[in-house]
Amino acid sequence: MNRRNFLSLGLGALAVSMLPSTLSAINFRETKPEAWTTTKVEDSIKAVFGDLPKGEGKIKLKAPDIAENGAVIPVTISTKLNAKTVAIFQDANPESTVAVFSVPENGIIDYSVRIKMAKTGTVTVVANVDGKLISASKLVKVTIGGCGG
Amino acid sequence: MAKKTRIKAKLKKDIITVKAMANHPMLSYIEAKNAKKEANFITYMVAKVNDKIVYEVSTSQFLSKNPYIKFKFKGAVKGDLVEITWTDLKGTTQVSSAKIK
Repeated sequence: MNRRNFLSLGLGALAVSMLPSTLSAINFRETKPEAWTTTKVEDSIKAVFGDLPKGEGKIKLKAPDIAENGAVIPVTISTKLNAKTVAIFQDANPESTVAVFSVPENGIIDYSVRIKMAKTGTVTVVANVDGKLISASKLVKVTIGGCGG
Repeated sequence: MAKKTRIKAKLKKDIITVKAMANHPMLSYIEAKNAKKEANFITYMVAKVNDKIVYEVSTSQFLSKNPYIKFKFKGAVKGDLVEITWTDLKGTTQVSSAKIK
């Protein structure tokens, strides 16, 4: 870990600790603005989680093999791991970050959302479990684009 | 925008499953350009029960129109109020709530 990363981590922790009312509330839109503009999945993962080592673990990603309508793709993530943050990325749209979940204490990770994709692409979920990144990905074929395409 | 988020919360074996559908166009930048409208989408959604956060997500423009979410949590009883708040790009917030059945 180089010094710059270390410093920004410290600042981030400070910002989180200074949040007034609710302890676990992290609006990633405000704390990690750069994460929403990156165009590559790897860059987005770095922007959201920082430089963390990869780990082994089981995380389940459920998405259709072929989505007829790219505007509505159901995606379900579930894992029994004690993850703090879970994020969804894809590589079909101009920007790659879709959603970042902050898991509250004793939270059950079983999230379903519907996302849209402009074309065929890979959906990737990444979870931060005890400082290690565990990921799963799946290719979703889109026959009709859902992003104005 | 007047329509509230539809929430259904059900208790089963100590686990509460919440299904919610927010009413929002979720216009991404590209879609908005094509439709000659301003981009606007939900950026942050949080669910609380008894002032405790049970679900929290920061979202981007790539959620589907009228985003549907489903999640589970523990530690609430029948009759507790689930409160879901979302904030969009323009700063609009909406609070909706429903009782756990």
